[in-house]
Amino acid sequence: MTPDLIYGLTGIAVFAIGLVGALCAQDRLRRVLALKLCSVGAGFVLVVAAWRTPPADPDPVPHALVITGIVVMISATAVALALIRRLQTLEAEDDDG
Amino acid sequence: MTDAATLFDLLLAGSVIALAIASLTVRDMFAAIVLFVIFGLLSALAWVRLSAPDVALAEAAIGTGVTGALLLKTLHHLRYVTGKLGEGQARDLTPIATVPAGVIWANAAFCGMITLGLALAFLGAPQAGPGFDSLVAEAMPASGVDHPVTAVLLNFRAYDTLMEVVVLLAAVIAVWQIERGLSDAPAPALGEVWQGFARLTLPAIVVVGTYLLWKGSEAPGGAFQGGAVLAAVGLLLLLSRIYVPRPAHRGLARWAFVLGTGAFAGVALLVSGGGRVAFEYPAQHAYSLILLIEGLVTISIAVTLAALFHGREPVAAPAPEGRNDT
Amino acid sequence: MMMVDPLILTLFLPLFGAIAAFVLPRAAAWVGLLAVLGTGVAVAALARAVLAEGEVVTQLGGWAPPLGIALRADGLSVAMLAMTAGVGLLVSIGALDALRDLRERQYFWPLWLLLLTGMNGVYLGTDIFNLYVMIEVIALAAVGLTVLSGTKQAVRAGLEYMYASILGALLFLMGVGFVYLQAGRLDFAGLIAVEPSGAMSAALALMVVGLLLKTALFPLHFWLPAAHANATAPASALLSGLVVKAALYIFLRLTTYMPLPDEILVTLIGTLGAGAVLWGGVQALRAERLKLLVAWSTVVQIGLIFIAFARAGQVGLSESWKAAALLILAHGVAKSAMFLAAGRIKDEIGHDRIADLDKSDTRPTLAQFTFALAAISIIGLPPSLGFIGKWTLMEGAMAAGYWHWVAVTMIGTLMSVAYFSRVFAGFLRFDRMRGELAEHKGWALADAAPLTLAIAAISLGLMAAPILSFIELGYPFGAQQ
Repeated sequence: MTPDLIYGLTGIAVFAIGLVGALCAQDRLRRVLALKLCSVGAGFVLVVAAWRTPPADPDPVPHALVITGIVVMISATAVALALIRRLQTLEAEDDDG
Repeated sequence: MTDAATLFDLLLAGSVIALAIASLTVRDMFAAIVLFVIFGLLSALAWVRLSAPDVALAEAAIGTGVTGALLLKTLHHLRYVTGKLGEGQARDLTPIATVPAGVIWANAAFCGMITLGLALAFLGAPQAGPGFDSLVAEAMPASGVDHPVTAVLLNFRAYDTLMEVVVLLAAVIAVWQIERGLSDAPAPALGEVWQGFARLTLPAIVVVGTYLLWKGSEAPGGAFQGGAVLAAVGLLLLLSRIYVPRPAHRGLARWAFVLGTGAFAGVALLVSGGGRVAFEYPAQHAYSLILLIEGLVTISIAVTLAALFHGREPVAAPAPEGRNDT
Repeated sequence: MMMVDPLILTLFLPLFGAIAAFVLPRAAAWVGLLAVLGTGVAVAALARAVLAEGEVVTQLGGWAPPLGIALRADGLSVAMLAMTAGVGLLVSIGALDALRDLRERQYFWPLWLLLLTGMNGVYLGTDIFNLYVMIEVIALAAVGLTVLSGTKQAVRAGLEYMYASILGALLFLMGVGFVYLQAGRLDFAGLIAVEPSGAMSAALALMVVGLLLKTALFPLHFWLPAAHANATAPASALLSGLVVKAALYIFLRLTTYMPLPDEILVTLIGTLGAGAVLWGGVQALRAERLKLLVAWSTVVQIGLIFIAFARAGQVGLSESWKAAALLILAHGVAKSAMFLAAGRIKDEIGHDRIADLDKSDTRPTLAQFTFALAAISIIGLPPSLGFIGKWTLMEGAMAAGYWHWVAVTMIGTLMSVAYFSRVFAGFLRFDRMRGELAEHKGWALADAAPLTLAIAAISLGLMAAPILSFIELGYPFGAQQ
């Protein structure tokens, strides 16, 4: 059992858990969380794919891709959360008035 | 030795999966976010095991730290607008629709099948298969930097990185647009958010900061990690109200958001000509240009992440529409 | 000699425009218009280069793929770029007038220019990871535009759109991971040579599902109608006319380099398209609001494009993409005209309830005329570009003996006549109002843009032959081999 095998399957499992969450979440915030899990799962697969049996160095290209993916994901998360805050405020105003 | 390492990997993998499930199933939203942050940090640890320290740091700092802070801030806001601020439990704050248990199980079964398929495909793929290893090794001497990930990010695939900074810019513009005129929830300063955030992410910040200081001596590295560290400082300033964004600062903030993108794209364009294409740095200047881009991009990332956390564009509070456009 | 590559300018001009429009909010409109105009000029220069050389390739940073990223333009990509720039320019001109609120205006321009950057990047991209980043640029800018009006319906629709977008992009990213796992490279050209395997099939499945979610093919269209119907008119025009085409284009390209492994899958894609045509048609017949009807018609048209893709099965793919491309171009031009016109009608009458269109004392005749012209192309009546597209679709399907695609297309056409007739009835009936009928409130700049687009949608049909030979330049679908 090598680390790439273990963590590769972990990544796929995390991706699938996020997928179930994204499809079934009953709460807006939870759905964002689930999507973030998916992105970590995809990150796992790329990091695993870059791994080479030591002492060989890993392939740096997938590492760069995952870093890019992380920054892209925080951007998307921030926008989704801003939408949630805005929507909840609009709905709360409606309930009051 | 190998067995101990394998055992550690298995335990870590198990915890990561368990935390992922727990963060989606635990009823209290605050607990879910805490579990998610632990999940993120353990994932980062797993990536360290896979010899990807740069990625692990980016995930710990941005993917976990800043994301966690954003989630907590949003939770605070939601509790405020729904009048549930004082309640201990925070669940069903934003119910979309009740999903019947049958649908959930059907989806779970469906996703289980997908997982199985993906796992089989993964097992069938070549282990430590083909990659860019030799190409990168060949090109490294001409890249201008020593650190391979930096070379990929800012030279070989600089175009991707430019567009990633563009995504960040699009996000902050969209967030300002979405939240315009949104009233602020009362200061989360030193409240639950602050404490939760500080407890959970300060260790990560310290780790990242130390690593970057050490890293800085041997290679220019990690605009994104560096940006995240600076952003964390910004978050602390915002939370502790040492710095309160004012309408007058908007102009400056706009410039700070676009600084990295503008400089990156500008350099990429200016180096072209004379037989060179865009992004092709002249060999003797590659190092300094990359350093310049990294520095400016770091500033933009830090300011943008802090602004994404702050959310609203700072506007003069009850100004009449049409006057707050400066 | 400082001769800048038009390929690079096509990408960088809108980017610099977005930056300038964001830091100079007061001048945003003029900066933005100038940037779109400049992009149009760059695309024209690129078109000349493609006409001369067939394909234009730039290896960014001087690094050859697979290590570096190359930008590539051929006939198809230039056609998409030109459609985007042309529609974009006219929508921009319309937006000068249509967006009266200062805040809407100040955010519209930077977001729209970032959207343009992202779309141009998609049409020039040759690297699947880069395409992932590009679709995220598009997604964030597009969501920002969706919620520009700030109403509750718009924000709710925008959030659904955001969820769908993120999920689609992540599925695509996971697919990229599997491609790397198997092939060790991410450039299009390198993917042709890769032997089929489990990992490649998984990658293809993930990426295709992600793209279908982004382009809203039935049954993954659930987010589209509300998002497109509730945005402000210029934003709707951009979202419906241009944005969904980006993911569609990636799908077309990707399936050339990673062919669908089985005939059944091609049929499945076509069947989903048929589902979209029928279900979207029923929903359009039932829609109560004009903009919602137009949004459902987008669902139908996307389905039609996928039927065009599948019209002659796997062996016909090397020709079928042309029918799909024609329909993409036709829909882009006509639908943006239609959304802008619908927005004008709503502005003038004050609402867009279809049942009450004829109960208003104002008659926005010019906008109604524009709407009708655009509908000619969407329905597919001669001589419009939409007609040529549908005709090419059916011709290919008949030649291959796939009569079921012909039947679905005919049914879809009849249904579109039916749902647009509901709107025309409202335009043409004058007996419901007693008293003076006011003509529309004078000519507006916002009327000129959709009218020009609608006329273009029809007259481009007369230029179908040169368009068809242009999109083949540079052998986008590998006819060379």
